[in-house]
Amino acid sequence: MTMRINPDLPKELKKYGKGEWNECFHCGTCTALCPLTENNNLFPRRSIRLLQMGLNDSLTVNVDPWLCYYCGDCSKSCPRDANPGELMMSLRRYLTSIYDWTGLSKRFYTTHFWEFGMILFLALFVISLFVFVLPPLDPTLNAAGGVRINQFAPVDLIEIGDWIMAIIVASLLISNILHMYYMVILKDKSIKIPLWLYFKEFWLLIFHFVTQLRFSKCDTEGKKYWLSHWLLMSGYTVMFTVIVVFLPWFQTEEVHPLYHPQRLLGYYATFGLLFGLIVVMIGRIRKSGEKFKFSHFSDWFFIIMLILTTVSGIMVHIFRINGMPYATYYTYIAHLAILVPMIMIEVPFSKWSHLAYRPFAIYFANLKKAAAA
Amino acid sequence: MEEPRIGVYICWCGSNIAKMVDVQDVAKFIAKLPGVIIARDYKYMCSDPGQDMVVKDIKEFKLNRVVVSACSPRIHELTFRKALENAGLNPYMFEMANIREQDSWVHENRAEATHKAKSLVAAAVYRVKHHEALDKRTVDINPATLIIGGGIAGMSAALEIADAGKKVFLIEKSSELGGNLTRVDLTFPYLYSAEYILNPIITQVKKHPNISLFMNTTIEEVYGYVGNFETTLKNQNGKDLQLKFGNVIVATGLKPFDPAVIPEYNYGKLPDVVTSHEFERLVSNGQIVTKAGNIPKNIAIIHCVGSRNPKYHPYCSRTCCLTALKYSNQIRSALPDANIFQLYADMRTMGKGCEELYTRTSRQGVIFLMFDQKHDLPRVRKADINESCNMIIELNELLSGETIEIPADLVILMVNMEAHDDSAQVAHAVGVSKCGNDFYIEKHPKLDPVATTTDGVYIAGTCQSPKHIPDSIAQAKAAAARILATIKVASVNVEVTTAFVNEDICCGCQTCIKVCPYSAISYLVDKKVSFVNDILCKGCGTCGSACPTGAIRSRHFTDQQILSEIEGILQFEIQEAVL
Repeated sequence: MTMRINPDLPKELKKYGKGEWNECFHCGTCTALCPLTENNNLFPRRSIRLLQMGLNDSLTVNVDPWLCYYCGDCSKSCPRDANPGELMMSLRRYLTSIYDWTGLSKRFYTTHFWEFGMILFLALFVISLFVFVLPPLDPTLNAAGGVRINQFAPVDLIEIGDWIMAIIVASLLISNILHMYYMVILKDKSIKIPLWLYFKEFWLLIFHFVTQLRFSKCDTEGKKYWLSHWLLMSGYTVMFTVIVVFLPWFQTEEVHPLYHPQRLLGYYATFGLLFGLIVVMIGRIRKSGEKFKFSHFSDWFFIIMLILTTVSGIMVHIFRINGMPYATYYTYIAHLAILVPMIMIEVPFSKWSHLAYRPFAIYFANLKKAAAA
Repeated sequence: MEEPRIGVYICWCGSNIAKMVDVQDVAKFIAKLPGVIIARDYKYMCSDPGQDMVVKDIKEFKLNRVVVSACSPRIHELTFRKALENAGLNPYMFEMANIREQDSWVHENRAEATHKAKSLVAAAVYRVKHHEALDKRTVDINPATLIIGGGIAGMSAALEIADAGKKVFLIEKSSELGGNLTRVDLTFPYLYSAEYILNPIITQVKKHPNISLFMNTTIEEVYGYVGNFETTLKNQNGKDLQLKFGNVIVATGLKPFDPAVIPEYNYGKLPDVVTSHEFERLVSNGQIVTKAGNIPKNIAIIHCVGSRNPKYHPYCSRTCCLTALKYSNQIRSALPDANIFQLYADMRTMGKGCEELYTRTSRQGVIFLMFDQKHDLPRVRKADINESCNMIIELNELLSGETIEIPADLVILMVNMEAHDDSAQVAHAVGVSKCGNDFYIEKHPKLDPVATTTDGVYIAGTCQSPKHIPDSIAQAKAAAARILATIKVASVNVEVTTAFVNEDICCGCQTCIKVCPYSAISYLVDKKVSFVNDILCKGCGTCGSACPTGAIRSRHFTDQQILSEIEGILQFEIQEAVL
């Protein structure tokens, strides 16, 4: 099939990352070194070529960028300093914006105005809910000296909000994954995937989501980053599940003893989040390792939002167990005013979406491989 | 003939020979051969003590012939001839037996290698008995030089020689000086103006008192030999002009290939498919526009047009990749928003500052697309009416394996450089040979890329092969320096081991004239015999082996000398068999 090239694509991609990708002259060193590339899937070289030539359709049908975990060996050894590792990262951002059918992702990635505007809007929305919808702060709440969190923010009302947010985020993310499925599998006429294969390969999707074992194959440093990344991911997942699905069990008036599962789970999740975030932050500040050398605006945005969410959550907890009602209530509002925009923007539209795209990309790649075999 | 008194020297060459050949045994054996006065072995014959030993022995033992058995005569024959001269002997009373390359290096059995060494040395001893003294010959050099071609190479050589105070006749077949460079706007890799390079040189050449310019002039035939050439020119008035000169530089250059013969590119059919030379003109006129006068949005540059393809020319034109990169830079500065596509087969950017030009260009958003130059050229076609571009180029892109289409409003064909139509005529006139690609052949591809096999005739610039401007100038100035050196000496040694005709036996069949590769033999009509011009003859011996009557013989390679050499080997074999 003859494809028309799009000379503007390389310029477009520069908005999603940084690299002299046009300097690549295809020696293939990157692909030869990559511990993850396979014979029928020669990345990153193929992706670089498709980008240089502006072949949008071939790029979007291709999940290679998601199979890369950015160890950076390719960029370190590139004789032209073309930075193939950062190209794969930029392509992940680009593909995220392509999978998103609403077009918001593209706006968030390429303009600060939209990103900040949306945070502000959602934060104000959350605050206004507290001001106008929830019962006003009753001075008597403080009189007894204890923190009445469920009187201040009744757990059943918060839970309704949680579920609304979860349904919006999930439907956006699922529709984006379906869009990805359409672009990667349905549009690829070269392959026919029998129905039974979808079931056969499905366990790998779960397996990769839970273990992220591919990451540990990356390089010598892979194991270190795999651990911190896994802690971050599991901490986040635990916390997300607890606050969305089990909020009545988690947000209790009574302060449980230290060994109570509620507190243990909360501490584990907080530790995982903090540990992972600190590793990433130190890496990005010191620019240690190829993957941290260039930080896109969206990378810092994500880190800062998540750290603010975590820290404000910790503060709510400290104020609450120390019986400081007003401090607890105001940080609670701040916590939600950060958390809601972070989840609403990050999960369906930005960096967080990789939690779905990566396992699905591996799933789709395995499907294609199995169907071709 | 005087009684031969032969000295034989067996070289160890350190351990190169000695470890495989029993050199003392060989020396002992050779000492017994008739005529051998002294036979020695020594660690390094080519060293000063080794040579001194030969000189001392010649004087002490009154030797009149010497055999050195060592490495190849290509390496040290001249060394030992010089030693003989120092001792007062004629240098041709010497023979070398090669027992290193032809013996110790190629054998693994010491006994057999020693046996073979004895054979080879005996052969040399038998041969040297029949050597005759030959005298050195020189010819005088006419200090004037003829330069054919007024391009950058020809002019650079002319100025070099003329500035040294020697006369130059510079012949140019067109009406202007400067050659191909006159059609160039900027030069790569530093984007320096060609005009700035060329104009001062043209001015100097035109006003130089030692340079006689002959414009609109071609050369018919050059007669003579090194130091003493002559030719007749016809000037514009139709008058004959006789020129005499001692050396010739051929600097006739190359011309652009005509891409109309390549069907894929539709050159000549699509108005906006232009050659690199036509594009140069667009750029020097100051505007990059299509035939219809529009600013092109998409510009495709196709490399290797007529190059590296057995259908057209098998060779690489060397300059086109860099010229194409230069165009990218010029287009990018003139049309910052244009899409530039480089359709290349291999990016060849060797040379000072050239790889850097490639790197710089690749940062300018130029799209590089690779195609198969031998089997699968890109196809240029007219775009449909509803397209936003003039033309579409379809190609199978090699690095991605995809078949793609490129929009194009202007297509630049980087045309090959090929020999001029009259290159054969010039080659014949001055006596140089041409390679399969019609470039003139140098004397030695590595050691002597400036001279030709005809003494006194040099080549410079792209007529030898496509090359960059500095390479052309370097070669031109090297040729000039070589010529100035011979003019300074005022005479030049010519080959003495030439052929000669025994007129009594010559039957006048002229077979020798047909086989002589140097046109050194002519036919004397009055005597009805062949005649060898000693100065043109290189002593290759072709005539001698072709002569049916044995009338032509080569000095230093007489039948008697060669037969004795064979006899030497066989004598030794017979002795061995008897023992």
